[in-house]
Amino acid sequence: MSTIVVGYDSSNCGKQALDRAVEIAKSLGDQVVVVFGYAPPGIWGGEIAEHEEAIEELGERLTAEARERAAAQGIEAEVAMVPKRGAEALIEVAEEREARMIVVGSYGEAPLKGALLGSTPNRLLHISNRPVLVVPANG
Amino acid sequence: MESTAVPPPGSAAGKPAPGTGSGAGEKGLKANAIGFVSSVVIGVASTAPGYSLAATLGFVAAAVALQAPAILLISFVPMFLVAAGYYYMNKADPDCGTSFSWVTKAMGPQLGWIAGWTIVVADIIVMANLAQIAGLYTFELFSWTAAAESTFAVTLVGVLWIVVMTAIVVIGIELSARTQVGLLAAEVFTLALFAIVALVKVYAGDAPDTSVHPSLSWLNPFSLSASEISAGMLLAVFIYWGWDTTATVNEETEDPGEAPGRATVISTLILLGIYIVVAFAAQAYGGVEGLVAEPEDVLSHLGAEVFGSPLDKILIIAVLTSAAASTQTTILPTARTTLSMARAHAMPGSLGKIHPRYLTPHVSTILMGGLSILWYVSLTLVSEDILFDSLAALGLMISFYIGLTGFACAVYYRHELLRSVKNFFFIGFGPALGGAILFYLLVKNAIELSDPANSESGNAWLGVGPPLLIAVFFLLLGIVLMAVQWRKFPEFFRRRPEVVPAGFLEGEAPPPESTGVSEEEVP
Repeated sequence: MSTIVVGYDSSNCGKQALDRAVEIAKSLGDQVVVVFGYAPPGIWGGEIAEHEEAIEELGERLTAEARERAAAQGIEAEVAMVPKRGAEALIEVAEEREARMIVVGSYGEAPLKGALLGSTPNRLLHISNRPVLVVPANG
Repeated sequence: MESTAVPPPGSAAGKPAPGTGSGAGEKGLKANAIGFVSSVVIGVASTAPGYSLAATLGFVAAAVALQAPAILLISFVPMFLVAAGYYYMNKADPDCGTSFSWVTKAMGPQLGWIAGWTIVVADIIVMANLAQIAGLYTFELFSWTAAAESTFAVTLVGVLWIVVMTAIVVIGIELSARTQVGLLAAEVFTLALFAIVALVKVYAGDAPDTSVHPSLSWLNPFSLSASEISAGMLLAVFIYWGWDTTATVNEETEDPGEAPGRATVISTLILLGIYIVVAFAAQAYGGVEGLVAEPEDVLSHLGAEVFGSPLDKILIIAVLTSAAASTQTTILPTARTTLSMARAHAMPGSLGKIHPRYLTPHVSTILMGGLSILWYVSLTLVSEDILFDSLAALGLMISFYIGLTGFACAVYYRHELLRSVKNFFFIGFGPALGGAILFYLLVKNAIELSDPANSESGNAWLGVGPPLLIAVFFLLLGIVLMAVQWRKFPEFFRRRPEVVPAGFLEGEAPPPESTGVSEEEVP
């Protein structure tokens, strides 16, 4: 039994990504792991630990939401919270589980905007050693 | 690509697998201690030397004439003393914090709230200042003198600058560590080049008539009156503002528990070096007259003469990148303070919201950007000659909350102070003395500024100097807002001060019991 790693952020494309991951996992008999990376963006300073905790709580809420959504489709998803940025968190879990693939949603942004906003799919495609499936919001 | 299962950097063998569910093992931050070079860069970049000099040097010279370098030197003393306090506060309450959580712990929620509020107000005011410098220097970069002299044009670009910087922080764009090192190196190099060329010209006789040969007596503060010293220092504490965060950076060392990192020492030496050398050179080249003539844009003014066109543009670019970098080290940390206050129910809960995609405290950040714009535009409408006065007001606020943190350290560690001579001096006497110096500045300047003739702009607002009025206004506003929040969410204000148990530093006692900020539930 292999694993499919998915990133979820409660946006439309995140939901699509999760649904696709669940769909594929069901037909292949794979496990689903919902990953949330909670490293705070930006450099040091201020109450950074507090910032990290706030993100962690957000992550707990989002991943619980994802588990419910997957459960409704008959998959008992696992959750992994990783203190890293989005792409790096997904890759870490994918490597550890020797995952079949990583599934993420795409905001469908113009490439330049994506580059400016630090798009996670973009980064994943460049640095992941495992297959990456990018699901558009209306996919 | 089969089995190229290279572990990602940092996930060394033996490290626990990322846990499932909540409470996944250790906090991330401790693992994210940063390297030596990054620590130095953060320390220097947080203070933004290019921008700080551009904003203050002219005004300091106006206050103390040739003794400006002496003022820059002695202003460092209280900041240094309190920074030791920052270091120890961070030790008891690891992974960074600000005066808000530290003063709350040591001296109770009311003072803590006011400290947090002061940080926020100082941030709003400094953003207006940064915007003004950025607007001015942007036009000077393109030698568009007419626009640089138009208040409307400068304000417009300044507002745009705040909008862009706020957006950058909200979206969470960050420069890579390498880019930051590069930018900082360029800034330091440019300032050094400016100093060398200026000094060479002074000795070669190529400098204007107002130039003076450097003298060591410029470093002597004793030839100044107490009023001159306090007025000069009030302006100059600003140039070290931001440096204090260095003391809380958890540097990657073999023994992170040991004395404040080498990075802090190195970044301090670099900063002091830059300030003293550039101040010497600028003053030697232009004389006091040259610095005071256009105090609002002293570096672009002198740079044009020292370097000539088009080389002078690199100095302008250095100041602009410095200002940009300092917004990164100013806006986000402050937004984190309001985030923390909101999570402790000390401020409205919406300020504690995190953007689900960008993971930044976007509500706090946008609100602060908006308030900065409001403040900047209304100040410009009231008076064009306000840069100095808001800088002096900023000095009052910085002195207040940093001084308070110095006292908080001594109070928080009171059971540790008599356990060793080192403890007494570094944790108790030092930070408290730093706090006392800053409070002396505060009181002395408040008294002097109550006579409007003593403010640089000479304006009188409600019969007192504008800086004092600005500071008192925000203090009163803060007290009112605190009262409102107190009525709505009394539980934060019922918190009792804590104390570090004796023996904590030697590892004989556990860290202080926290009823603290981080234990609070999010609404």
